[in-house]
Amino acid sequence: MDEYTIQVLSNIGMFSFIALSAYLLLMTGEISFGQQAFFAISAYASGIATAMWGWPLWAGILWGALVAAAAAFVLAWPTLRLRGLYFAIGTLAFAEMVRLVFEIFRYQVEIDGELVGPDGSDGFRGVRYAFENDISNLDYMLLIYGVLAAVLIFFFLMGRSRLGKIFRMLGEDELLAEMQGVNRTFYKVLATVLAGFIAGIGGALYVHLNTYVEPKVFNVMLGVHSLAYGLIGGLGTSLGPLLGVAIDIGLLESIRIFTGYRMIVFGGLVAVLLIVRPRGLLDEEVVYWLKYRMWRRLAGSARRRPEATPGEARDAGD
Amino acid sequence: MLAIEGLTRRFGGLEALSGVDYAVAGEGVFGLIGPNGSGKTTLFNVVTGLYRPSAGRVRFLGEDISRLGPHRIIAKGIARTFQTPRVYARMTVRENLAAARHTLAGAERRAGGEARIAALLEATGLADRRDELAKSLPLPEQRRLELARALVRNPRLLLLDEPAGGMTPAETQAMARLIEEVAAPGRACIVIEHKMDMIARLCAQVCVLNFGAKIAEGAPDAVLNDPVVLEAYIGRDGGGA
Repeated sequence: MDEYTIQVLSNIGMFSFIALSAYLLLMTGEISFGQQAFFAISAYASGIATAMWGWPLWAGILWGALVAAAAAFVLAWPTLRLRGLYFAIGTLAFAEMVRLVFEIFRYQVEIDGELVGPDGSDGFRGVRYAFENDISNLDYMLLIYGVLAAVLIFFFLMGRSRLGKIFRMLGEDELLAEMQGVNRTFYKVLATVLAGFIAGIGGALYVHLNTYVEPKVFNVMLGVHSLAYGLIGGLGTSLGPLLGVAIDIGLLESIRIFTGYRMIVFGGLVAVLLIVRPRGLLDEEVVYWLKYRMWRRLAGSARRRPEATPGEARDAGD
Repeated sequence: MLAIEGLTRRFGGLEALSGVDYAVAGEGVFGLIGPNGSGKTTLFNVVTGLYRPSAGRVRFLGEDISRLGPHRIIAKGIARTFQTPRVYARMTVRENLAAARHTLAGAERRAGGEARIAALLEATGLADRRDELAKSLPLPEQRRLELARALVRNPRLLLLDEPAGGMTPAETQAMARLIEEVAAPGRACIVIEHKMDMIARLCAQVCVLNFGAKIAEGAPDAVLNDPVVLEAYIGRDGGGA
């Protein structure tokens, strides 16, 4: 595999975490424009842990994600009473606050005669754990996908568990869920904290791959993208956001003909999809169709083998 | 079972409920009627904790529940349906019922499980609709789904908000039969309804609200012929018409 492919695949993997984080909140019916804040917090926290405190990589990643989750908990309380648009604005304001704090955040120590640590708007250089420990880009990519696989397994298990069902109930109809005995406050806080943790994993992986991070990486556009990934790829399954990331980074950012036009094409794609498929390509209906109709068809294909189209399948079921 | 004392709920300057005393003792079906805007649904919303009372108290099984959050109230054994049916549109019929189980405590949740859901689907005539998306159901079936879903929790108190709203006479009859069946021993159902023949058939006791106040209570025959109630519904007689 050449270096360029590895780099593209690593980026797809890393941004999948923040996309999944935004998706988790979309599942519960909340739109957040602020998941980049947790990505940022974890990038700094884990970088500090490995580069300045000498922690091993795994501990740095875990620490970063935990700090991000704690920050999400802090955000959850004041924004809990906000819904819909107001929650979106609240998260956006929070993320901008976090970014501006990193613009002035200085915490440096001397290591081997060199100052290491966050240096305000000049960013945080020298997070060289991967370099110093001879972790190749390929190995690092495998690490990213290993962790991503673990997170996806978590999502699949959650989807089958009570927790996932309750998140979906809240996302479908919050009032009805509450009237069925769901403790809305508790589950909304829990979703926010989990989403913070997942975005945090992405941030920690990001800083150790690039060895360098600066506040402007975490601007609003990162938040908008992470939200758009789920909306493009689909909200019916946790593979939806990954599809969104693959479309954006894999196609638009990496293929030459789109160079320079990425944002135009991406923006247009979002606009068109929001009209044609408001809940993304792999939305609940596609998932439903795959789950119930395809299954029935496959089971019944011994009798006949018709061309499967969603419309026909639906008629056939009535 | 349910005892409401001096219940008042204000929205700004509007008093949606003013000093309502209402009690439901024991089991059976109880009617709650009144013209549009008389405060019936508001009463359900206060009982289930969606709104806090501005004054007064709600007691359920002897316990004051008027300051509790909705999830705590529901956990005590209350379930409800809605005037405009609310279903999880992007879930199937079966998933809608399964969802209702997720908030039950462990032991209750495991009891019955899929078998109980299947029985409820059968009882409400939704068995063939099992794997349809809930949003594809016509209104009468959505209302039956709401009822089945409320029963998943096996509630002591069942609040039905216009269970036959928008239904044809035949569908209304079927719904009335269903309500008779689900009014099991140890359970009280309060039914909000505008269809008086249904109320007369189902209920032993009827309470009438008008402008947020209770204006009559008693056996259906007496209440439905009470001049005060007739006036509330059709206006004062003698206008010359």
